[in-house]
Amino acid sequence: MNQTKVNQYARSVSIIGVGCTPFMYTVDNQETDGLTEGELFGYAALKAMEDAGVNPQDIDFYFHGEASPLNGSNYLTPNIQIANWFGMKGKASIHHSEACCTGYYAIEQAVNAVASGKYNCVLSGCVEFGDSVAVPNHPYKREKMTMEKFLQTTAWLYDRNYTRSFMAGQELIYDDAAEWYKRTRGLTDEQMDDTLNMMSIANRKNASMDEIAIERRTYEELAREAGFDNVMDYMRSPYNPKNGDFLRMSGIELKCDGAAAVIVCATDMVETYMGNKSHKAIEVLGCGCAACEATTPHFEVTATEEAVRQVYEVTGVKPEELDIFYANDFIITSHLVSAEIAGYLPYGEGWKYICEGRTAYDGDKPINTNGGRTSFGHAHAASGLADLYEAVKQMRGECGERQVKKLPRTAMLRGYGGAQNICTYIIRTAD
Amino acid sequence: MAIKLEKVVQGFYDFLEEGKIMGRRCPKCGAVEFPPVYACNSCGSLETEWCEISGKAKMHSIVMPAALSSKPEYRELGKYAYGEVELAEGARCNAVVRGISRKSRKELLERMPLDVHAAIYQRDGYKTVVFDLDEKYLG
Repeated sequence: MNQTKVNQYARSVSIIGVGCTPFMYTVDNQETDGLTEGELFGYAALKAMEDAGVNPQDIDFYFHGEASPLNGSNYLTPNIQIANWFGMKGKASIHHSEACCTGYYAIEQAVNAVASGKYNCVLSGCVEFGDSVAVPNHPYKREKMTMEKFLQTTAWLYDRNYTRSFMAGQELIYDDAAEWYKRTRGLTDEQMDDTLNMMSIANRKNASMDEIAIERRTYEELAREAGFDNVMDYMRSPYNPKNGDFLRMSGIELKCDGAAAVIVCATDMVETYMGNKSHKAIEVLGCGCAACEATTPHFEVTATEEAVRQVYEVTGVKPEELDIFYANDFIITSHLVSAEIAGYLPYGEGWKYICEGRTAYDGDKPINTNGGRTSFGHAHAASGLADLYEAVKQMRGECGERQVKKLPRTAMLRGYGGAQNICTYIIRTAD
Repeated sequence: MAIKLEKVVQGFYDFLEEGKIMGRRCPKCGAVEFPPVYACNSCGSLETEWCEISGKAKMHSIVMPAALSSKPEYRELGKYAYGEVELAEGARCNAVVRGISRKSRKELLERMPLDVHAAIYQRDGYKTVVFDLDEKYLG
């Protein structure tokens, strides 16, 4: 497969502020029903500015991510419609969509814009109403997105010339990575099933302590309510049905609504922007990206291998230097596969780490400490920046009772989505 | 050869109507692109040219359809699975392979990679390509 040599940034860029809304089913609650794109994005953007110690006039440019603005918001140019909400009227911006990978490319875009030298301080935000669609011809009302409508729009992710016609690529997203892992590592069906279930349990355990996560009831609680003494019996039961070849209900995203934002600036200007803020800036060391459309065999694995190779090569960081790992796991298997490809978990042993509970927030190899897509939720474009928000909070030691044991200094985040982009980057707390 | 603005996609489906499964061969390195596209993804050549696919292939992975990963119209395929298919010409792609059931999967996994062959399959309004398990595995 084609490979890319990535060069180091022309100048160092650091994260100085982050913001995130709760992930929500907005139309299901009176308090949130009626919230709009500008209000969600605006909240996340202003929280990021407050966190960074900057005001809108300090920011030179902003990036706007939304996976499906036409379907969800009736917008073709969603970036244009919301700048006024966070004080950036008249400032230039651009919209981008890489579907579920949008929030990961959001950081890459912002860093490139500053590293090039054109801008000194950039905001990058993402918003998504994954659970509802705008009512046409009404100023703010939304209606629940039906599963039929959701599936109709996700079909747009796939090449219409061949992939949809061949009937395989779009269906393999659910189980291909699990089949690949089980076959190449020699697991039994039962071991693979338990591994998938344990990832769901760990994600939920993490989310149970995150007040902005969408689902906080642990599987242990759900099992007890259903009359099970053992949570694994519950996870293997019809309460958690298999709706894939390997995948169960607990391993699938909770699509919802939300927004998140980040502010980056040139590292040598951190003090200028942050003023008397006490937290340390976090440097973006490098980013690796690849993409394989869905007729490519093992598209997630193949593209992740290339993106990870790039980011290690350009940063010089070794897998053993990673203290914490995030993976966009709207299909839970991503969590295992990407952590092992990255070397964060040892080859062929990752499933054991997961089954021993070592990847939960209180383990020695924490992954997705916010609960990932199956528990924190999946507001499609916004999810990647929500993961970055969590990583930054963990690296500052600001996560309260779900704070990981050892203060993380170096993190890897691996984005995935859009049938299929991969964007992997490494961040490190400044000395 | 010269770079041409050419209807490769329509050409591919027109060939299927004639009973031919076509890919595109790179004149520089010989790699075959399937499904067919303009350029070579192996050596970077800017051009490729039509070539007929023998239809012989090997299947390297098996994923069974389930509630999430099937559609009502796929029932007409009969028993089938998804997987990585490698054409005799070298190209690899994700494809449907007919003739595999949940029951037969276990035995078939022990005999991987499986010999399969391409077939032209009628969908609603156009023909496409699927693969069939070779007869030696059936029965």
